Amino acid sequence: MLHLALEKTLNLLIANGTVSLDKLEGHNIALHVPELSLSLCFVCSNARIYVLKAQLHSDVDITLNKTAFLSLLRGAELRDLITNEEVLIHGNVKVAQALSDLFAEASIDIEELISHHTGDIVARQLGKVIRFAKKYPNNLIGIVETMKDDFSTLLITPSHSRFFNKGEK
Amino acid sequence: MGKATHFGYQQVDAADKQGLVKGVFDSVANNYDLMNDVLSFGAHRLWKRYTVGLSNVGKGDKVLDVAGGTGDLAIKFREKVGETGQVILSDINGAMLEEGRKNLIDRGLVDVGFVQANAEFLPFKDNTFDCVSIAFGLRNVTNKEGALKQMHRVLKKGGCLLVLEFSKVDNVMLGKFYDFYSFNVIPKLGGLIANDEESYQYLAESIRKHPDQETLKQMALDAGFTFCEYHNLSGGIVALHKAVKA
Repeated sequence: MLHLALEKTLNLLIANGTVSLDKLEGHNIALHVPELSLSLCFVCSNARIYVLKAQLHSDVDITLNKTAFLSLLRGAELRDLITNEEVLIHGNVKVAQALSDLFAEASIDIEELISHHTGDIVARQLGKVIRFAKKYPNNLIGIVETMKDDFSTLLITPSHSRFFNKGEK
Repeated sequence: MGKATHFGYQQVDAADKQGLVKGVFDSVANNYDLMNDVLSFGAHRLWKRYTVGLSNVGKGDKVLDVAGGTGDLAIKFREKVGETGQVILSDINGAMLEEGRKNLIDRGLVDVGFVQANAEFLPFKDNTFDCVSIAFGLRNVTNKEGALKQMHRVLKKGGCLLVLEFSKVDNVMLGKFYDFYSFNVIPKLGGLIANDEESYQYLAESIRKHPDQETLKQMALDAGFTFCEYHNLSGGIVALHKAVKA
């Protein structure tokens, strides 16, 4: 579910104009975090981003440790991570930098996202809604819709991560 | 008999299936929404909301809802795309399309397009839509592979296909309950509420004949989609396949 939450968050920010996908349009980026057994592929096309668990042909492969992954999502400078040898990059470094810039613009609250894996789904869902409400205080309809979406997700997908993992391929 | 296919548990000529399915939906169109609510205990609304939530559809996008029937998804997509976008609801069945038209007009949505079309021969140009959806429709299509190829064709690069459909339950106990419910309760409720037990017997049978999650995923990939993933909902009673033309 991490990839879905990440995809939804990024696309919401793209739609709101908070972040831009211009430099990434048409590119695929693979990101590996071996410590978390996590491999994601970011597919940027048609002004939106898909975050997949699948392995696709990519323009750049980024491998990094858990700490660097969290730092990257918080907007850390990619070159600092490279200097500290926390990141390995194979392929187009400019594309990797563009992804790093995207995360920096988005300032994703990764603790909130991965709290899902600790079972704290309700906190995560509510956290998303609260942050959305703080960010867009005038968009009450959007908040209500977001709450409905999140509530639907909670209702139709059981709250055990085992089930989530089993249900996604 | 020409090329055979299934209609529920019956083997029928492939050329006859479309007419038989038409008969089912002509019969159930008037009570379709009511029966969906009753039979799924309202869960179909949550499954559809989840589907639209995963679509990444935004303002200004073009969406095609294939086999859109009474318009549940089209209504939700219209909210997402706004006035600058476009939603087209298509269905092969005129009676279902008429129900969809009524539902949308009742909600004041007059700018959704309606097209009576066979999913196997979509009358749209290549690379037209940002998103194509088909909810509880694919299992009724005779040539599913052909329909998937058509949906791939009309999608823009970077567009996504969403297939919401009954699938294979992934829990033994739930499966036993679900089988009992499907074959003993659903047809009876169909007879009681819609006065049409036979059509709802077909519903239960057609679900069992529909490809399982992995098979449908492979079919989407074979149709040309770059990747496809699926999400089991309600223990696999329903699965949402999301395929992208990257």
